[in-house]
Amino acid sequence: MKKIGLTTTVPLEVLIAAGYTPVDLNNIFITSRDYTKYIDIAEKDGFPRSLCTWIKGIYGVCMQNDIKEIVGVVEGECSNTKALIEVLELRGIKVYPFSFPHSHKLEDVEHEINKFMNVFNVTLKEVEVVRKRLNKIRALSKEIDELTYINNKATGFENHLYQVSSSDFNGDIDAFEVDLKKVICDIKNRNPINKKLRLGYIGVPPMTCDIYEFVEELNASFVYNEVQREFAFPRYDKARDIYKQYYDYTYPYDTEFRIKELQKQIDARKLDGIIHYTQAFCYRAVADIVLKEKLDIPILNIEGDKLNTLDARTKLRLEAFVDMLLDLKVAKK
Amino acid sequence: MRVLGIDLGSREVKIVLMENNKIIQKKKVSTMSFYRNYCSFDGKIIVDLEKLDIRKIDKAVSTGYGKNNTDLSMFTPINEIKAHVYGGFYQTGLKDFILLDVGGQDVKVVKVEKGITTDLELNEKCAASCGRYLENMANVLEIPLEDMSTHYENPVELNSTCAVFSESELIGKIAEGVSIEALCSSVNYSLYKRLLPLLSKFKGKKLILTGGVANNNAIKRYLKEDYEEIVSIEEPQFNGAIGCCYYGSRFL
Repeated sequence: MKKIGLTTTVPLEVLIAAGYTPVDLNNIFITSRDYTKYIDIAEKDGFPRSLCTWIKGIYGVCMQNDIKEIVGVVEGECSNTKALIEVLELRGIKVYPFSFPHSHKLEDVEHEINKFMNVFNVTLKEVEVVRKRLNKIRALSKEIDELTYINNKATGFENHLYQVSSSDFNGDIDAFEVDLKKVICDIKNRNPINKKLRLGYIGVPPMTCDIYEFVEELNASFVYNEVQREFAFPRYDKARDIYKQYYDYTYPYDTEFRIKELQKQIDARKLDGIIHYTQAFCYRAVADIVLKEKLDIPILNIEGDKLNTLDARTKLRLEAFVDMLLDLKVAKK
Repeated sequence: MRVLGIDLGSREVKIVLMENNKIIQKKKVSTMSFYRNYCSFDGKIIVDLEKLDIRKIDKAVSTGYGKNNTDLSMFTPINEIKAHVYGGFYQTGLKDFILLDVGGQDVKVVKVEKGITTDLELNEKCAASCGRYLENMANVLEIPLEDMSTHYENPVELNSTCAVFSESELIGKIAEGVSIEALCSSVNYSLYKRLLPLLSKFKGKKLILTGGVANNNAIKRYLKEDYEEIVSIEEPQFNGAIGCCYYGSRFL
């Protein structure tokens, strides 16, 4: 099957129905041992130093891994992605555009997905067959999420990993399904993790994955990974079709819609506090203003740039934040 | 309930005793004298409370520079960022603020949102932006620190990064015939300018100023330009010790 690169989550069902193997370029970038080489490639080709590292990483991955076709999200993502797509086209990469309509109306989403299906020459019926198959795997991802916040058995990192991997099912649906089943079985046989604080991780997935382990040393654990969970489509079972599924998805739409889902999860998961991760130079840091005002919960905004481990200053800030949350939790009891 | 809070600073040890959330006793002892005259050592530092005239304690909390220095026998140590934030809660009742603590040898800036610390910054190894700098410069000018801190008008630039070099720079200005008032303003202004880079990331509406430097009116005046409100607190130097008491009575 032909590979097709993704810059973010798009209706995978369409691509798979068309016989493609979707590959999330972000995942290749961040899991690479030598991830900085991808950034260097982009900077050598003229990408500014003051630009989101993910964009540069994706570019580097495309150049190094012989990616010939990608889906570029031109609406619902940042303007940096748009500019990135233009450079990739310049390098001879075939780009299929996709949009999450800013209006966030169901009929507009329907229109965009129909256009997308036409480009790949697949029918709704074919797409729905794939959707049903993927939903079986989505159910497993959801189970891992529940093992995190209901049974307290899966770690914050496992939760992150298996949900973020749903953006492309690790490039092999069947193997991913086997993996998930095995992991679920292992996790179920464990004792629950007993940490005093229940934290939520919101914002784009981190460059600095050591954050999960770091908070555990401070007697806290992440029981919610916002965007990673959105990538895994946890409300797949409530969607009657592909249109509704990609409509009921918070990541690319407005902050107001996102906040509704956040509030639900804050309550359901009994969160004590939130870490809001934003990438340096990303517009999403501005959303922090709205989130802090609208959500009645302590929020710490941390920023990642090129490093894939937490720097000393961020660690100090996390420590100070968690320390006081622990005081409050003890006082409440 | 009687809670004792001790803040071990680089210049002075601040001691506050609260009974049912009210301050009933407070005192300052020079740090050297505190260790020499009021402490003994038996594996851990033991504070002679009787000698300090403090009796009947239910809880005791300590803070100060470095965990090891504040680990007193019978005391629960807490980090000084937290101590100052809790002190800020007690003294202002606010939950959202920027706290600037300028002590004898260090500077801390803390951002507090919804009653939780969300950001902090500490000065580097150099103490040029601290209270000790003001003390030294007042000595050079041979005027009391309190007098020096009232002058804010017509400062001339003192550019040295180093607090020791600043002394000779100041002497040079005296030789140039700059008035003593303007020299006092210059010292205050140069400290303010050293604080600015630390504060640049800490935008906010309300600034609580604590530590000995909070008594410096000139610096308060300069800071008024950068914040909507400089929140005055009654006991800026006892803020850390008050925070210890606050912690002890709420969370222990």
